[in-house]
Amino acid sequence: MNIKIVEREILNPLADTDTIKLELNPLPQNRRFIALLDNTKPNADLILNLIQENLEFDKFIRITKPAGDSATSDQIEQTAQADLIILALGDCGSCTTWLILDAIKLEKQGMPTISICSHIFAPFARELAESYGAHSLKIIEIEHPLAGQSKEVIKTKTQKIISQMNEMLD
Amino acid sequence: MDKKEEIKKKFKKNNPKISNNSCGCQIDEFIIENSPNERLCSVKEADFEIFVDPDVEKISNQLYLKKETDWLPIITPTQSRVDKFLKYTDLKKDEVIAILPPKRGKATIEKIAINSVMAGCAPTFMPIIQHTMKALSNEKFNLPAINATTHPVAICTILNGPISHEIGINSNVGCLGPGYTANATIGRAVRLCMINIAGAVPGIGDHATMGSPAKYSFCFGEAEDESPWESLHIEKGCNSDESAVTLIAAEAPQNVNDHRSKKAEDILDTIINTVAVAGCNNSHVPGEILVIMGPEHAKTIATDGWNKDDVKKYINEKTSVPVDLGDRGGRKMDEKLITEGEVKLTRSPKDVIVVVAGGPGRHSMIAHGFGTSSESVTIPLKLKDGTPVSSVEDFKKNNCK
Repeated sequence: MNIKIVEREILNPLADTDTIKLELNPLPQNRRFIALLDNTKPNADLILNLIQENLEFDKFIRITKPAGDSATSDQIEQTAQADLIILALGDCGSCTTWLILDAIKLEKQGMPTISICSHIFAPFARELAESYGAHSLKIIEIEHPLAGQSKEVIKTKTQKIISQMNEMLD
Repeated sequence: MDKKEEIKKKFKKNNPKISNNSCGCQIDEFIIENSPNERLCSVKEADFEIFVDPDVEKISNQLYLKKETDWLPIITPTQSRVDKFLKYTDLKKDEVIAILPPKRGKATIEKIAINSVMAGCAPTFMPIIQHTMKALSNEKFNLPAINATTHPVAICTILNGPISHEIGINSNVGCLGPGYTANATIGRAVRLCMINIAGAVPGIGDHATMGSPAKYSFCFGEAEDESPWESLHIEKGCNSDESAVTLIAAEAPQNVNDHRSKKAEDILDTIINTVAVAGCNNSHVPGEILVIMGPEHAKTIATDGWNKDDVKKYINEKTSVPVDLGDRGGRKMDEKLITEGEVKLTRSPKDVIVVVAGGPGRHSMIAHGFGTSSESVTIPLKLKDGTPVSSVEDFKKNNCK
Protein backbone atom coordinates (compact mmCIF):
# COMPACT_ATOMS: atom_id res chain seq x y z
CA MET A 1 0.00 0.00 0.00
CA ASN A 2 1.28 3.48 -0.89
CA ILE A 3 0.76 6.27 1.58
CA LYS A 4 1.46 9.73 0.25
CA ILE A 5 2.21 12.54 2.66
CA VAL A 6 1.08 15.78 1.13
CA GLU A 7 2.26 19.12 2.45
CA ARG A 8 -0.60 21.59 2.45
CA GLU A 9 -0.10 24.53 0.14
CA ILE A 10 0.29 27.97 1.60
CA LEU A 11 -1.58 30.91 0.19
CA ASN A 12 0.32 33.78 -1.37
CA PRO A 13 0.50 36.83 0.92
CA LEU A 14 1.48 39.21 -1.88
CA ALA A 15 -1.24 41.45 -3.24
CA ASP A 16 -2.02 41.98 -6.89
CA THR A 17 -1.34 45.52 -7.93
CA ASP A 18 -3.72 47.97 -9.44
CA THR A 19 -2.30 48.52 -12.90
CA ILE A 20 -2.79 51.75 -14.76
CA LYS A 21 -1.00 53.32 -17.71
CA LEU A 22 -0.54 57.04 -18.15
CA GLU A 23 0.35 58.92 -21.29
CA LEU A 24 3.19 61.29 -20.48
CA ASN A 25 3.87 64.59 -22.17
CA PRO A 26 6.80 65.21 -24.54
CA LEU A 27 9.37 67.81 -23.54
CA PRO A 28 8.69 71.21 -25.10
CA GLN A 29 10.16 72.19 -28.48
CA ASN A 30 10.55 75.78 -27.40
CA ARG A 31 12.39 77.29 -24.44
CA ARG A 32 9.95 79.88 -23.25
CA PHE A 33 8.57 79.37 -19.76
CA ILE A 34 9.80 77.03 -17.08
CA ALA A 35 8.38 76.48 -13.58
CA LEU A 36 10.76 75.38 -10.85
CA LEU A 37 8.99 73.51 -8.06
CA ASP A 38 11.03 73.56 -4.83
CA ASN A 39 9.99 71.17 -2.06
CA THR A 40 12.22 73.01 0.48
CA LYS A 41 14.58 70.09 1.05
CA PRO A 42 18.06 71.30 2.01
CA ASN A 43 19.88 72.61 -1.10
CA ALA A 44 16.89 72.14 -3.40
CA ASP A 45 16.84 75.94 -3.71
CA LEU A 46 20.53 76.03 -4.61
CA ILE A 47 20.14 73.32 -7.23
CA LEU A 48 17.21 75.15 -8.79
CA ASN A 49 19.11 78.47 -8.68
CA LEU A 50 21.94 76.90 -10.63
CA ILE A 51 19.50 75.41 -13.12
CA GLN A 52 17.86 78.80 -13.59
CA GLU A 53 21.25 80.41 -14.18
CA ASN A 54 22.41 77.83 -16.66
CA LEU A 55 19.38 76.67 -18.63
CA GLU A 56 18.40 78.97 -21.48
CA PHE A 57 14.75 79.75 -21.02
CA ASP A 58 12.95 83.07 -21.53
CA LYS A 59 11.09 83.04 -18.24
CA PHE A 60 11.25 81.24 -14.91
CA ILE A 61 8.82 81.01 -12.03
CA ARG A 62 9.68 79.60 -8.58
CA ILE A 63 7.07 77.82 -6.50
CA THR A 64 7.56 76.08 -3.17
CA LYS A 65 5.66 72.96 -2.17
CA PRO A 66 5.86 70.84 0.99
CA ALA A 67 8.30 67.96 1.14
CA GLY A 68 6.62 64.73 2.21
CA ASP A 69 3.19 65.94 1.19
CA SER A 70 1.31 66.86 -1.95
CA ALA A 71 1.49 70.26 -3.55
CA THR A 72 -1.65 72.27 -2.88
CA SER A 73 -4.07 72.98 -5.70
CA ASP A 74 -2.90 76.63 -5.63
CA GLN A 75 0.69 75.56 -6.05
CA ILE A 76 -0.24 73.27 -8.94
CA GLU A 77 -2.29 76.05 -10.52
CA GLN A 78 0.67 78.42 -10.51
CA THR A 79 2.48 76.12 -12.93
CA ALA A 80 -0.38 76.17 -15.41
CA GLN A 81 1.21 78.39 -18.08
CA ALA A 82 4.66 76.79 -17.98
CA ASP A 83 6.08 74.78 -20.89
CA LEU A 84 8.10 72.61 -18.53
CA ILE A 85 8.18 71.97 -14.78
CA ILE A 86 11.34 70.91 -12.98
CA LEU A 87 10.82 69.45 -9.51
CA ALA A 88 13.50 69.21 -6.81
CA LEU A 89 14.43 67.40 -4.67
CA GLY A 90 13.93 63.69 -3.99
CA ASP A 91 16.65 62.65 -1.58
CA CYS A 92 14.65 60.78 1.06
CA GLY A 93 11.68 58.43 1.13
CA SER A 94 8.71 60.73 1.75
CA CYS A 95 10.06 63.69 -0.26
CA THR A 96 10.81 61.42 -3.24
CA THR A 97 7.32 59.97 -2.94
CA TRP A 98 5.56 63.31 -3.13
CA LEU A 99 7.95 64.72 -5.72
CA ILE A 100 7.02 61.85 -8.03
CA LEU A 101 3.31 61.87 -7.17
CA ASP A 102 3.18 65.62 -7.82
CA ALA A 103 5.06 65.17 -11.12
CA ILE A 104 2.46 62.55 -12.10
CA LYS A 105 -0.35 64.90 -11.08
CA LEU A 106 1.16 67.59 -13.36
CA GLU A 107 1.68 65.14 -16.22
CA LYS A 108 -1.99 64.16 -15.95
CA GLN A 109 -2.83 67.82 -16.44
CA GLY A 110 -0.79 67.91 -19.64
CA MET A 111 2.40 69.41 -18.21
CA PRO A 112 5.80 67.92 -19.11
CA THR A 113 8.04 67.43 -16.07
CA ILE A 114 11.58 66.56 -15.06
CA SER A 115 12.09 65.33 -11.50
CA ILE A 116 15.46 65.56 -9.79
CA CYS A 117 16.22 62.71 -7.38
CA SER A 118 19.42 61.64 -5.70
CA HIS A 119 20.95 58.52 -7.19
CA ILE A 120 20.17 56.58 -4.01
CA PHE A 121 16.45 57.32 -4.21
CA ALA A 122 16.07 57.36 -8.00
CA PRO A 123 15.44 53.58 -8.25
CA PHE A 124 12.57 53.93 -5.77
CA ALA A 125 11.34 56.99 -7.67
CA ARG A 126 11.16 54.94 -10.88
CA GLU A 127 9.42 52.01 -9.18
CA LEU A 128 6.89 54.35 -7.63
CA ALA A 129 6.27 56.07 -10.97
CA GLU A 130 5.73 52.67 -12.58
CA SER A 131 3.27 51.67 -9.85
CA TYR A 132 1.26 54.75 -10.75
CA GLY A 133 1.44 53.99 -14.48
CA ALA A 134 4.08 56.58 -15.35
CA HIS A 135 6.61 54.12 -16.76
CA SER A 136 8.91 56.61 -18.45
CA LEU A 137 8.54 59.57 -16.14
CA LYS A 138 11.59 61.77 -16.69
CA ILE A 139 13.85 61.49 -13.65
CA ILE A 140 17.36 62.92 -13.49
CA GLU A 141 19.78 61.51 -10.93
CA ILE A 142 22.00 63.77 -8.89
CA GLU A 143 24.74 62.35 -6.72
CA HIS A 144 23.67 61.60 -3.13
CA PRO A 145 24.04 63.10 -0.51
CA LEU A 146 22.75 66.64 -0.99
CA ALA A 147 21.74 67.58 2.55
CA GLY A 148 24.46 68.94 4.80
CA GLN A 149 26.80 69.64 1.83
CA SER A 150 28.71 72.82 0.98
CA LYS A 151 27.71 75.13 -1.86
CA GLU A 152 30.76 74.08 -3.84
CA VAL A 153 29.80 70.40 -3.60
CA ILE A 154 26.22 71.15 -4.65
CA LYS A 155 27.48 73.25 -7.57
CA THR A 156 29.71 70.46 -8.83
CA LYS A 157 26.92 67.89 -8.55
CA THR A 158 24.37 70.17 -10.19
CA GLN A 159 26.60 71.06 -13.15
CA LYS A 160 26.60 67.39 -14.13
CA ILE A 161 22.82 67.26 -14.33
CA ILE A 162 22.48 70.58 -16.16
CA SER A 163 24.35 69.16 -19.14
CA GLN A 164 22.00 66.13 -19.04
CA MET A 165 19.00 68.44 -19.00
CA ASN A 166 20.28 70.38 -21.99
CA GLU A 167 20.73 67.12 -23.88
CA MET A 168 17.18 66.06 -23.02
CA LEU A 169 15.78 69.41 -24.11
CA ASP A 170 17.77 69.47 -27.36
CA MET B 1 -18.17 -21.64 -2.47
CA ASP B 2 -15.27 -20.96 -0.20
CA LYS B 3 -15.50 -18.40 2.55
CA LYS B 4 -13.53 -15.78 0.60
CA GLU B 5 -15.86 -15.90 -2.37
CA GLU B 6 -18.84 -15.83 -0.08
CA ILE B 7 -17.69 -12.63 1.61
CA LYS B 8 -16.88 -11.02 -1.74
CA LYS B 9 -20.29 -11.84 -3.15
CA LYS B 10 -22.07 -10.55 -0.10
CA PHE B 11 -20.05 -7.32 -0.13
CA LYS B 12 -20.77 -6.65 -3.79
CA LYS B 13 -24.44 -7.25 -3.25
CA ASN B 14 -24.60 -4.84 -0.35
CA ASN B 15 -22.26 -2.27 -1.86
CA PRO B 16 -22.88 -1.44 -5.45
CA LYS B 17 -20.48 1.08 -6.88
CA ILE B 18 -19.78 3.63 -4.17
CA SER B 19 -19.23 6.58 -6.44
CA ASN B 20 -19.12 7.25 -10.13
CA ASN B 21 -15.95 9.20 -9.48
CA SER B 22 -14.19 6.33 -7.79
CA CYS B 23 -11.26 4.65 -9.43
CA GLY B 24 -13.21 1.41 -9.69
CA CYS B 25 -11.30 -0.49 -7.09
CA GLN B 26 -13.52 -2.14 -4.53
CA ILE B 27 -12.64 -2.34 -0.89
CA ASP B 28 -13.69 -5.98 -0.82
CA GLU B 29 -11.07 -6.79 -3.39
CA PHE B 30 -8.46 -5.34 -1.14
CA ILE B 31 -9.79 -7.01 1.95
CA ILE B 32 -10.12 -10.37 0.37
CA GLU B 33 -7.50 -10.56 -2.31
CA ASN B 34 -4.61 -8.34 -1.33
CA SER B 35 -2.02 -8.91 1.27
CA PRO B 36 -1.21 -5.93 3.50
CA ASN B 37 1.87 -5.11 1.43
CA GLU B 38 0.04 -4.81 -1.86
CA ARG B 39 -1.56 -1.73 -3.41
CA LEU B 40 -5.06 -0.81 -2.38
CA CYS B 41 -5.65 1.06 -5.61
CA SER B 42 -3.74 0.29 -8.74
CA VAL B 43 -5.07 3.33 -10.59
CA LYS B 44 -4.10 6.19 -8.27
CA GLU B 45 -0.59 7.19 -7.35
CA ALA B 46 -1.24 6.55 -3.69
CA ASP B 47 -3.72 4.55 -1.65
CA PHE B 48 -3.95 7.12 1.09
CA GLU B 49 -3.07 10.80 1.17
CA ILE B 50 -2.22 12.31 4.50
CA PHE B 51 -2.16 16.10 4.59
CA VAL B 52 0.28 17.81 6.91
CA ASP B 53 1.06 21.44 7.60
CA PRO B 54 4.21 22.75 5.95
CA ASP B 55 7.31 22.94 8.06
CA VAL B 56 7.29 26.32 9.78
CA GLU B 57 11.04 26.70 9.65
CA LYS B 58 11.14 25.93 5.93
CA ILE B 59 8.25 28.22 5.00
CA SER B 60 9.45 31.04 7.24
CA ASN B 61 12.82 30.85 5.55
CA GLN B 62 11.31 30.74 2.06
CA LEU B 63 9.20 33.81 2.76
CA TYR B 64 12.18 35.51 4.39
CA LEU B 65 14.24 34.98 1.24
CA LYS B 66 11.41 36.48 -0.83
CA LYS B 67 11.20 39.46 1.57
CA GLU B 68 7.61 38.59 2.44
CA THR B 69 7.85 38.61 6.23
CA ASP B 70 9.12 40.82 9.01
CA TRP B 71 11.88 38.22 9.35
CA LEU B 72 10.34 36.53 12.39
CA PRO B 73 8.82 33.03 12.08
CA ILE B 74 5.25 32.95 10.84
CA ILE B 75 2.16 30.78 11.15
CA THR B 76 1.74 29.08 7.78
CA PRO B 77 -1.23 30.55 5.88
CA THR B 78 -2.95 27.36 4.77
CA GLN B 79 -6.40 27.45 3.19
CA SER B 80 -8.07 26.01 6.27
CA ARG B 81 -6.53 28.63 8.55
CA VAL B 82 -7.39 31.48 6.20
CA ASP B 83 -10.95 30.18 5.88
CA LYS B 84 -11.42 30.60 9.65
CA PHE B 85 -10.54 34.30 9.29
CA LEU B 86 -12.86 34.72 6.32
CA LYS B 87 -15.76 33.75 8.59
CA TYR B 88 -15.23 36.95 10.59
CA THR B 89 -16.05 39.40 7.83
CA ASP B 90 -19.19 40.53 6.10
CA LEU B 91 -17.28 41.19 2.87
CA LYS B 92 -16.42 38.86 0.01
CA LYS B 93 -12.91 37.52 0.02
CA ASP B 94 -12.00 39.21 -3.27
CA GLU B 95 -13.45 42.58 -2.29
CA VAL B 96 -10.83 45.33 -2.52
CA ILE B 97 -11.14 47.63 0.48
CA ALA B 98 -8.12 49.81 -0.26
CA ILE B 99 -5.31 50.37 -2.75
CA LEU B 100 -2.16 50.76 -0.69
CA PRO B 101 0.99 52.65 -1.68
CA PRO B 102 3.77 52.57 -2.74
CA LYS B 103 3.06 49.45 -4.89
CA ARG B 104 -0.65 50.22 -5.16
CA GLY B 105 -1.42 46.75 -3.85
CA LYS B 106 -5.03 45.66 -3.75
CA ALA B 107 -5.98 45.05 -0.12
CA THR B 108 -8.52 42.29 -0.63
CA ILE B 109 -10.13 40.61 2.33
CA GLU B 110 -8.32 37.39 1.47
CA LYS B 111 -4.86 39.02 1.37
CA ILE B 112 -5.55 40.74 4.68
CA ALA B 113 -6.60 37.37 6.14
CA ILE B 114 -3.48 35.61 4.80
CA ASN B 115 -1.17 38.18 6.35
CA SER B 116 -3.13 38.11 9.61
CA VAL B 117 -2.72 34.33 9.81
CA MET B 118 1.01 34.75 9.24
CA ALA B 119 1.18 37.30 12.05
CA GLY B 120 -0.31 34.80 14.51
CA CYS B 121 -3.66 36.53 14.92
CA ALA B 122 -6.82 34.79 16.09
CA PRO B 123 -9.66 34.73 13.52
CA THR B 124 -11.68 37.07 15.75
CA PHE B 125 -9.11 39.84 15.14
CA MET B 126 -10.05 39.96 11.45
CA PRO B 127 -12.60 42.82 11.74
CA ILE B 128 -10.00 44.99 13.48
CA ILE B 129 -7.36 44.49 10.79
CA GLN B 130 -9.91 44.90 8.01
CA HIS B 131 -11.01 48.27 9.39
CA THR B 132 -7.40 49.27 10.02
CA MET B 133 -6.58 48.82 6.32
CA LYS B 134 -9.59 50.93 5.41
CA ALA B 135 -8.54 53.68 7.82
CA LEU B 136 -4.98 53.71 6.49
CA SER B 137 -6.21 54.51 3.01
CA ASN B 138 -7.68 57.80 4.25
CA GLU B 139 -5.73 60.54 2.42
CA LYS B 140 -5.15 62.58 5.55
CA PHE B 141 -3.08 59.72 7.03
CA ASN B 142 -0.65 60.14 4.09
CA LEU B 143 0.33 56.49 3.81
CA PRO B 144 2.49 57.11 0.68
CA ALA B 145 4.87 59.17 2.82
CA ILE B 146 4.50 57.11 6.01
CA ASN B 147 5.51 53.91 4.26
CA ALA B 148 8.40 55.33 2.26
CA THR B 149 9.96 57.85 4.63
CA THR B 150 13.48 57.73 6.07
CA HIS B 151 11.90 58.84 9.38
CA PRO B 152 11.33 55.96 11.87
CA VAL B 153 7.57 56.40 11.95
CA ALA B 154 5.42 53.37 12.75
CA ILE B 155 1.70 52.78 12.50
CA CYS B 156 0.20 52.79 15.97
CA THR B 157 -3.18 51.07 16.29
CA ILE B 158 -5.32 52.04 19.28
CA LEU B 159 -8.52 50.14 20.11
CA ASN B 160 -11.54 51.42 21.97
CA GLY B 161 -14.94 50.05 22.88
CA PRO B 162 -16.49 46.71 23.80
CA ILE B 163 -14.79 44.72 21.04
CA SER B 164 -11.38 45.61 22.42
CA HIS B 165 -12.41 43.79 25.64
CA GLU B 166 -13.97 40.92 23.71
CA ILE B 167 -10.79 40.11 21.78
CA GLY B 168 -8.59 40.57 24.84
CA ILE B 169 -6.58 43.60 23.85
CA ASN B 170 -4.41 44.67 26.74
CA SER B 171 -4.81 48.24 27.94
CA ASN B 172 -3.31 47.66 31.35
CA VAL B 173 0.04 46.60 32.77
CA GLY B 174 2.58 46.00 30.00
CA CYS B 175 0.22 47.05 27.22
CA LEU B 176 3.08 48.23 25.00
CA GLY B 177 5.29 45.26 25.76
CA PRO B 178 5.37 41.53 25.13
CA GLY B 179 2.94 38.95 26.46
CA TYR B 180 -0.45 39.72 24.92
CA THR B 181 -1.67 38.02 21.77
CA ALA B 182 -3.97 40.71 20.43
CA ASN B 183 -1.50 43.55 21.02
CA ALA B 184 1.42 41.62 19.57
CA THR B 185 -0.27 40.11 16.55
CA ILE B 186 -2.65 42.85 15.39
CA GLY B 187 0.26 45.26 15.22
CA ARG B 188 2.31 42.63 13.44
CA ALA B 189 -0.50 41.91 10.98
CA VAL B 190 -0.65 45.61 10.10
CA ARG B 191 3.09 45.56 9.39
CA LEU B 192 2.90 42.37 7.29
CA CYS B 193 0.06 43.92 5.28
CA MET B 194 2.27 46.94 4.68
CA ILE B 195 5.09 44.69 3.47
CA ASN B 196 3.07 42.32 1.31
CA ILE B 197 0.10 44.40 0.19
CA ALA B 198 1.48 47.95 0.14
CA GLY B 199 5.02 46.97 -0.84
CA ALA B 200 6.67 48.69 2.13
CA VAL B 201 9.57 46.26 2.09
CA PRO B 202 12.52 47.61 4.09
CA GLY B 203 15.11 49.06 1.72
CA ILE B 204 12.73 48.80 -1.27
CA GLY B 205 9.44 50.53 -0.46
CA ASP B 206 10.21 51.44 3.16
CA HIS B 207 13.29 53.66 3.36
CA ALA B 208 13.48 54.25 7.11
CA THR B 209 17.13 55.04 7.79
CA MET B 210 17.20 52.76 10.82
CA GLY B 211 13.63 51.56 11.10
CA SER B 212 12.14 51.17 14.53
CA PRO B 213 11.19 48.40 16.96
CA ALA B 214 7.70 49.92 16.78
CA LYS B 215 7.52 48.76 13.17
CA TYR B 216 7.29 45.14 14.33
CA SER B 217 4.13 45.82 16.27
CA PHE B 218 2.55 48.87 17.91
CA CYS B 219 -0.97 48.19 19.13
CA PHE B 220 -2.79 48.64 22.43
CA GLY B 221 -6.16 49.47 23.89
CA GLU B 222 -7.26 52.46 25.91
CA ALA B 223 -7.94 51.70 29.58
CA GLU B 224 -11.38 53.30 29.46
CA ASP B 225 -12.33 52.09 32.92
CA GLU B 226 -9.20 53.66 34.41
CA SER B 227 -9.57 56.96 32.60
CA PRO B 228 -11.12 59.93 34.39
CA TRP B 229 -11.86 61.46 30.97
CA GLU B 230 -13.77 60.81 27.79
CA SER B 231 -12.10 58.07 25.78
CA LEU B 232 -10.41 58.66 22.45
CA HIS B 233 -13.08 57.23 20.15
CA ILE B 234 -15.84 59.29 21.81
CA GLU B 235 -13.69 62.40 21.48
CA LYS B 236 -13.42 61.53 17.77
CA GLY B 237 -17.18 61.32 17.33
CA CYS B 238 -18.05 57.68 18.02
CA ASN B 239 -20.76 56.56 20.43
CA SER B 240 -19.79 55.01 23.76
CA ASP B 241 -21.23 51.63 22.78
CA GLU B 242 -19.31 51.56 19.52
CA SER B 243 -15.90 50.02 19.03
CA ALA B 244 -13.29 51.83 17.00
CA VAL B 245 -9.74 51.72 15.71
CA THR B 246 -7.54 54.79 15.68
CA LEU B 247 -4.42 54.87 13.54
CA ILE B 248 -1.70 57.37 14.29
CA ALA B 249 1.68 57.68 12.61
CA ALA B 250 4.07 57.73 15.55
CA GLU B 251 7.64 57.09 16.54
CA ALA B 252 8.45 54.46 19.17
CA PRO B 253 7.24 55.79 22.54
CA GLN B 254 9.51 57.35 25.16
CA ASN B 255 9.01 57.12 28.88
CA VAL B 256 7.96 59.90 31.22
CA ASN B 257 9.04 58.94 34.72
CA ASP B 258 7.50 61.19 37.34
CA HIS B 259 7.19 59.69 40.82
CA ARG B 260 7.24 62.92 42.77
CA SER B 261 4.78 65.40 41.30
CA LYS B 262 1.59 65.90 43.22
CA LYS B 263 0.03 68.58 41.03
CA ALA B 264 -1.33 68.49 37.51
CA GLU B 265 1.00 71.19 36.22
CA ASP B 266 4.06 69.42 37.56
CA ILE B 267 3.25 66.09 35.89
CA LEU B 268 2.39 67.87 32.65
CA ASP B 269 5.65 69.84 32.81
CA THR B 270 7.56 66.55 32.98
CA ILE B 271 5.61 65.34 29.95
CA ILE B 272 6.22 68.60 28.10
CA ASN B 273 9.95 68.45 28.74
CA THR B 274 10.05 64.92 27.36
CA VAL B 275 8.20 66.01 24.21
CA ALA B 276 10.14 69.23 23.59
CA VAL B 277 13.24 67.99 21.81
CA ALA B 278 14.97 69.22 18.68
CA GLY B 279 15.41 66.15 16.51
CA CYS B 280 11.82 65.04 16.03
CA ASN B 281 9.59 65.88 13.05
CA ASN B 282 7.27 67.91 15.28
CA SER B 283 10.05 70.42 15.95
CA HIS B 284 10.15 71.67 12.34
CA VAL B 285 6.79 70.50 10.94
CA PRO B 286 4.46 70.64 13.96
CA GLY B 287 1.70 68.07 14.12
CA GLU B 288 0.17 65.42 16.31
CA ILE B 289 1.84 63.88 19.34
CA LEU B 290 0.60 60.84 21.23
CA VAL B 291 0.45 61.04 25.03
CA ILE B 292 -0.18 57.66 26.64
CA MET B 293 -1.07 58.74 30.13
CA GLY B 294 -0.51 56.23 32.92
CA PRO B 295 -3.67 55.82 35.05
CA GLU B 296 -1.94 57.09 38.19
CA HIS B 297 -0.75 60.26 36.46
CA ALA B 298 -4.22 60.73 34.93
CA LYS B 299 -5.86 60.36 38.35
CA THR B 300 -3.57 62.94 39.94
CA ILE B 301 -4.23 65.41 37.13
CA ALA B 302 -8.00 64.82 37.19
CA THR B 303 -8.12 65.08 40.99
CA ASP B 304 -6.62 68.52 40.56
CA GLY B 305 -9.73 69.40 38.57
CA TRP B 306 -8.22 69.23 35.09
CA ASN B 307 -10.29 67.82 32.27
CA LYS B 308 -8.91 66.41 29.03
CA ASP B 309 -9.22 69.69 27.16
CA ASP B 310 -7.24 71.46 29.89
CA VAL B 311 -4.48 68.89 29.49
CA LYS B 312 -4.42 69.25 25.71
CA LYS B 313 -4.40 73.05 25.88
CA TYR B 314 -1.60 73.14 28.45
CA ILE B 315 0.63 70.75 26.50
CA ASN B 316 -0.01 72.58 23.23
CA GLU B 317 0.71 75.95 24.76
CA LYS B 318 3.87 75.04 26.64
CA THR B 319 5.65 72.58 24.33
CA SER B 320 8.16 74.42 22.17
CA VAL B 321 11.81 74.41 21.17
CA PRO B 322 14.12 77.23 20.09
CA VAL B 323 13.71 77.74 16.36
CA ASP B 324 17.43 77.45 15.63
CA LEU B 325 17.30 73.91 17.04
CA GLY B 326 13.90 73.02 15.64
CA ASP B 327 14.47 74.12 12.06
CA ARG B 328 16.99 71.47 11.17
CA GLY B 329 14.68 68.93 9.55
CA GLY B 330 14.21 67.93 5.94
CA ARG B 331 11.36 70.30 5.21
CA LYS B 332 11.91 74.02 5.72
CA MET B 333 9.94 75.40 8.63
CA ASP B 334 7.09 77.74 7.85
CA GLU B 335 8.14 81.10 9.31
CA LYS B 336 4.58 81.80 10.40
CA LEU B 337 5.08 79.14 13.08
CA ILE B 338 7.82 81.10 14.84
CA THR B 339 6.93 83.13 17.93
CA GLU B 340 9.66 84.97 19.79
CA GLY B 341 12.33 82.60 18.59
CA GLU B 342 10.36 79.48 19.55
CA VAL B 343 8.33 76.96 17.56
CA LYS B 344 5.55 74.89 19.12
CA LEU B 345 5.57 71.16 18.48
CA THR B 346 1.82 71.02 17.96
CA ARG B 347 -0.42 73.32 15.92
CA SER B 348 -3.38 73.29 18.31
CA PRO B 349 -4.73 71.39 21.35
CA LYS B 350 -6.36 69.02 18.85
CA ASP B 351 -2.89 67.77 17.89
CA VAL B 352 -2.35 66.44 21.43
CA ILE B 353 -3.78 62.92 21.30
CA VAL B 354 -4.32 61.78 24.89
CA VAL B 355 -5.17 58.20 25.82
CA VAL B 356 -5.06 56.55 29.22
CA ALA B 357 -3.35 53.15 29.32
CA GLY B 358 -0.93 51.09 31.38
CA GLY B 359 -0.83 49.54 34.82
CA PRO B 360 0.19 50.68 38.29
CA GLY B 361 3.18 53.01 38.48
CA ARG B 362 4.09 56.63 38.05
CA HIS B 363 4.89 56.45 34.34
CA SER B 364 3.39 57.82 31.16
CA MET B 365 4.72 57.65 27.62
CA ILE B 366 4.87 60.05 24.70
CA ALA B 367 5.41 59.41 21.01
CA HIS B 368 6.26 62.07 18.46
CA GLY B 369 4.28 62.00 15.25
CA PHE B 370 5.23 62.31 11.59
CA GLY B 371 4.51 66.03 11.64
CA THR B 372 2.31 68.35 9.65
CA SER B 373 1.58 66.02 6.79
CA SER B 374 -0.12 63.13 8.59
CA GLU B 375 -3.22 63.08 10.75
CA SER B 376 -4.65 60.27 12.81
CA VAL B 377 -7.77 58.49 11.62
CA THR B 378 -10.50 56.97 13.81
CA ILE B 379 -13.17 54.72 12.35
CA PRO B 380 -15.90 52.76 14.13
CA LEU B 381 -16.27 49.06 13.47
CA LYS B 382 -19.37 48.63 11.35
CA LEU B 383 -20.89 46.23 8.88
CA LYS B 384 -20.65 47.09 5.21
CA ASP B 385 -24.12 48.64 5.24
CA GLY B 386 -23.18 50.90 8.14
CA THR B 387 -24.86 48.88 10.86
CA PRO B 388 -22.97 49.28 14.15
CA VAL B 389 -21.70 46.08 15.77
CA SER B 390 -21.44 45.16 19.40
CA SER B 391 -19.38 42.01 18.93
CA VAL B 392 -17.02 40.43 16.41
CA GLU B 393 -19.66 37.69 16.21
CA ASP B 394 -21.86 40.20 14.35
CA PHE B 395 -19.41 39.98 11.46
CA LYS B 396 -19.65 36.18 11.58
CA LYS B 397 -23.44 36.29 11.60
CA ASN B 398 -23.36 38.47 8.49
CA ASN B 399 -20.64 36.44 6.84
CA CYS B 400 -20.68 36.66 3.07
CA LYS B 401 -19.28 33.42 1.67
